[in-house]
Amino acid sequence: MSPKKQNEEDPHVSDSDTDSTYEDSSAADDDDGDSFGSPSESESEPAAGDDSEPDEHGESDSSGLHQEESDSSEDEVAPRNTVGDVPLHWYDDEPHIGYDIKGKKIKKKDKLDKLGSFLANVDDSKNWRKVYDEYNDEEVELTKDEVKLVRRLLKNRAPHADFNPYPDYVDWFKWDGAKHPLSNAPEPKRRFIPSKWEAKKVVQYVRAIRKGLITFDKPKEEDGPYLLWEDDSGLTEKSNHLAYIPAPKQRLPGNEESYNPPLEYIPTQEEINSYQLMYEEDRPKFIPKRFTSMRSIPAYENAMKECFERCLDLYLCPRVRKKRLNIDPESLKPKLPSRKELKPYPTACYIEYKGHEDAVTSISVEPSGQWIASGSSDGTVRIWEVETGRCLRRWDVGEAVNCVAWNPLPDVHILAVSLGQDVLILNTHLGDDEEQKKIKELLSVDTSTPSDDSGNSATSVRWLQDDKHGGIKLKFFKTVTAVEWHRKVLIHHLSKKLTQKLPFKLHGLAVRSTFHPSRSIFFICTKQSVRVYDLLKRKLIKKLDTGLREASSIAVHPGGDNLIVGSKEGKLCWFDMDLSSKPYKTLKCHPKDINNVVYHRSYPLFASCSDDCNAYVFHGMVYSDLNQNPLIVPLEILRGHTSSDGRGILDCKFHPRQPWLFTAGADKLIKLYCH
Amino acid sequence: MVKAVKHYRPPGKKKEGNAAKFVTRSQALKQLQINLPLFRKLCILKGVTPREPKKKFKGTHQTYYHVKDVAFLHHEPLLEIHREIRVHERKIKKAEAKKNLERAKRLREKTPKPKIDRIIRQRYPRFVDALGELDDCLSMVHLFAALPAAESKKIDIECVHKCRRLAHEWQAFISRTHKLRKAFVSVKGIYYQAEVEGQKITWLTPHSLQQVVSDDVDVITMLNFLQLYEPLLGFVNFRLYHSINLKYPPILDPRLEALAADLYALSRYANANVNAVPSVVNSEASQVAESEQGDAKPKRDDIEHEKSELRLAQLQHQLPTNEPGALMQLVEEAASEEEVDQDTRECKNLFKDLKFFLSREVPRESLLFVIPAFGGIVSWEGEGAPFQESDQSITHQVCFSYYLLGLGDLLYLMMSTHLAIGFNFKIVDRDSQGHKFLSREYVQPQWVFDSVNARIILPTVDYMVGRIPPPHLSPFIDYEEEGAYIPDYAKTIKQLQAAARKEVLPLPGVGKEDLEDPQNILVEGIMDRAEANQAAQRKQKMMMLEQQYHNDLKKELQGVTYGKMDSNVDKQTSTGEESTDNAQQKDDADDMGTLMMSRKKRKLLEAMKISNERKQAKNDLIKQRKKKIDEAHKKN
Repeated sequence: MSPKKQNEEDPHVSDSDTDSTYEDSSAADDDDGDSFGSPSESESEPAAGDDSEPDEHGESDSSGLHQEESDSSEDEVAPRNTVGDVPLHWYDDEPHIGYDIKGKKIKKKDKLDKLGSFLANVDDSKNWRKVYDEYNDEEVELTKDEVKLVRRLLKNRAPHADFNPYPDYVDWFKWDGAKHPLSNAPEPKRRFIPSKWEAKKVVQYVRAIRKGLITFDKPKEEDGPYLLWEDDSGLTEKSNHLAYIPAPKQRLPGNEESYNPPLEYIPTQEEINSYQLMYEEDRPKFIPKRFTSMRSIPAYENAMKECFERCLDLYLCPRVRKKRLNIDPESLKPKLPSRKELKPYPTACYIEYKGHEDAVTSISVEPSGQWIASGSSDGTVRIWEVETGRCLRRWDVGEAVNCVAWNPLPDVHILAVSLGQDVLILNTHLGDDEEQKKIKELLSVDTSTPSDDSGNSATSVRWLQDDKHGGIKLKFFKTVTAVEWHRKVLIHHLSKKLTQKLPFKLHGLAVRSTFHPSRSIFFICTKQSVRVYDLLKRKLIKKLDTGLREASSIAVHPGGDNLIVGSKEGKLCWFDMDLSSKPYKTLKCHPKDINNVVYHRSYPLFASCSDDCNAYVFHGMVYSDLNQNPLIVPLEILRGHTSSDGRGILDCKFHPRQPWLFTAGADKLIKLYCH
Repeated sequence: MVKAVKHYRPPGKKKEGNAAKFVTRSQALKQLQINLPLFRKLCILKGVTPREPKKKFKGTHQTYYHVKDVAFLHHEPLLEIHREIRVHERKIKKAEAKKNLERAKRLREKTPKPKIDRIIRQRYPRFVDALGELDDCLSMVHLFAALPAAESKKIDIECVHKCRRLAHEWQAFISRTHKLRKAFVSVKGIYYQAEVEGQKITWLTPHSLQQVVSDDVDVITMLNFLQLYEPLLGFVNFRLYHSINLKYPPILDPRLEALAADLYALSRYANANVNAVPSVVNSEASQVAESEQGDAKPKRDDIEHEKSELRLAQLQHQLPTNEPGALMQLVEEAASEEEVDQDTRECKNLFKDLKFFLSREVPRESLLFVIPAFGGIVSWEGEGAPFQESDQSITHQVCFSYYLLGLGDLLYLMMSTHLAIGFNFKIVDRDSQGHKFLSREYVQPQWVFDSVNARIILPTVDYMVGRIPPPHLSPFIDYEEEGAYIPDYAKTIKQLQAAARKEVLPLPGVGKEDLEDPQNILVEGIMDRAEANQAAQRKQKMMMLEQQYHNDLKKELQGVTYGKMDSNVDKQTSTGEESTDNAQQKDDADDMGTLMMSRKKRKLLEAMKISNERKQAKNDLIKQRKKKIDEAHKKN
């Protein structure tokens, strides 16, 4: 019976009976519109009406019940205590609980201790029904009906089972057929004339609207599409915004995404299983599947996700224009002149010189090109005939040879050998008698001169006659690793049997040094730079910055303006001294240390050899025109040596007249490569 | 005079360099005084993306925006509107808290709406720009058109309906103007590629099945995108419809709409309106003309009746636009007919004079789009279809007239002009019982897509109902690319295409009986061609082998001479080593080139090599699988 329903019924009632009391209220309702007060009013009315009768009924009922109950209770237990409504804890310390009707004290009963009460609990099955009445100090046992009553109360229901809170409405007062209205008053006039106050209100509104105090909602605008791009053919409007990069289009699907791809696109079960072993990011995101008909294609479960990911890409990824090279990778390689045109150059191994019992550390070719000397770490120095590979002479020097070098004069056949702390100068007994005589003169040490000299420089070098090998022995106090160089660079004048110390200060450790082929200029290579000194003026001319971590070898072009530096990281730097102090070209060709670099004396060739058992031969043409840069073309990779305990080719030298290359390897071999 | 400071630069802010040009996202938020969701929304609508400064001055984990981009957002009226919206929402909340529901409702209706049209114009100053970036828009609208509306996911039904409508309008335009170029059925959905005003537009429509909105998707972000894409597609459609003199938005036949045959309703709308211009021949008109000859007169009347009703409704809307420019329209139409390019003409005539009937359980929506786009006439099983399955005699007439006149080339002869697309066995069984349908071919829907991609009408033998069709290949792959793997079926299609282009005519000796079964001829022709190709290949191989042998001989001779020249050469050199030496030399030659390259170029070369190798490995894997499959076939 909702209030609303009641409300709806109301007008009906008022129609039939004009004089009803309801009528006014409904009319008031209509006037108010949907004021919040009215429903509550209408609610209250019927509620009151509803309540009135059942209340009476209930009251009578309940009173009757009460009487019965009270009667019975009075019969059973007389109200013993007469203290009235006072806090019971007043009697906590007293021996009595109050007074009976006659004014006598009512004594407290003896209480059971806990154990006793518990035992009583257990024994008595009806114990749960017992309630302790504090007021009367007694235990009351509830009857079944009382328990039921309590239960109903707990459930928030009417205590008595018979009570019906929602009885059917009985309309005791019926108007139907009643002859006389409730009120006999005539219909008032106001019911027949238009409301004055309403008219006033309307006028008020009209004025407000005219004044613009009340505005109406504008009709909703339909913002449908219209011709946005009317004529944009001549649009050259440059936006004042930054350059806009359109988003890249999505990749177009290939055959593997087809619902019915060719069979070969479908991975086998093993392959699919192997995907599980891959890293998450390497795993293919899409595994092709095959369906026999279009009907059997299921919905794609990732459709939403992929669309979402695309959205994320669109607004969260920075856009950068990247040039995508769609060219043949071969076209990246520079155009080199044909190697055939650059012939001759060494291409294949022709002769192997066998005989050394340990790694050949150094070789040197005699200026005429007929002989080759080699030093090995087995403590021997050998001289070979180039064309036949015959071993001509052999000296046992007893110590690992670091370096061998021929005298550059073609008629003085002297060989310098460095071993340990000594440098030996050996007579090779080549050439005719006259030449031999000259050499012998040269090699005989005048003992008086060094004694003079020892005042200045004997601390570092001593010149001694070595009878055993028929040569001169130079004693150093520190280990010499190559004839031409040392930390304190010394220059030996062989003709005067004198040693000269360089007056320059070196920055860093000297690695290699070399002479200018025509002028008295001296190059010293330290680990990171090359210094060029003029020996006559005794000053530094130039400092070349290699940019290498650790240079290992140096060679000067016969022209004298270009030089190459090899390094331990396998890089080869070509310097054009007229151009700059920075390398003109850096070639990274060897994966391992470069041991030696060398220029050919007459051909435009240079070579490098390294621990990776390869020797590279390059074409290095230097033009006399200063405007033209040197031309460098890699020509050939010479292989053949084998590595022994990490060392490959230890030395390489060009033949002085032919485009031939000698290489000395750690595998006890010397090889000759010819064109 | 002191030069006025252009912008206020806060203390500590850099004058130049990356720190001056870029701000991090949180800085931008602070500057714009908005929260992150709104910032994201603005970025999406305005097309502002993060930038990558050369030096990330606040760390690599930050997102950087250009100062100008942020300023661009700062001056955006949308920002103001969103502030108003926020104020409005507060008012609504207050009204609701006071139980003033009426006011809340009124306020909700009055919530200011951001206008997107200006932004669209700003982002795409030219129509072509908009077309160029329509891919994502179309894919998204098509996806949302297939989504279930869910209150919990904030996808409301209106949005889905709108997307659906927009998608259909777009498809109707493409179909009507024959701009569709490629269609590809993939596992993810159906890809279409159309060419509009020189822009290639590719989009993906999901399969018409229930899509699942997963929880790991942020629908709000997608709805933000949709807020841009919906009006964008609306404007694009308006412009496109305008270009073919149709009123937009189109008024649809409510009956068809109720049947969810929106696309057909749209295409009818388009056709009906252009029908007013007599110069245009369209499928509907021809269909009517054909049906005049047949015995389906009552049906035709029906159609006419419907159409006149519909037209009346449309004319009422169109009166102001169409009446004065009727003549102009005619001229325009004629002009546009001429300027239609070769490609479009080819597409338009692919399914010309073919009538399709779609059975149940075929992707109707997709086929209704594709077939008319290539000039075919299509009907389907169900209510509102233009013609019934029993419609037969008309097509026969057309077919034989072609045949007797001898106008059609082989391919047209191959195909009877009435095709039904059936799917399962049941339908076929029933159809085969009826004697009358012998004249048609029953094919699977893949045939339509394959024919469209190949631009020829493929033989239907492989696509017969009940068979597993040949592989469906992607039309987006460029087989010309070097080293690309070409599947067998692609080769077959290529041969068929070549045959169609040359219009291989039947040999004079071939009788009429043979002509009736033209597929055999064609197949034979293909076989011959294939054999010839094989023979040529064999020959080439022989030549190669011979040459190699000669080369080997030469090398051997040289080796001998070398040996004679020098006595100390190792005598163990054999021909085998020689060949390895050769390979070595080749490698050396390669190395020589790389030696002289700068480091940058060398790295680039290496990267290229790696990517090429990866590609090659992929192809090799496929080839390997193919080999295995072939072997397995041979064994069987």
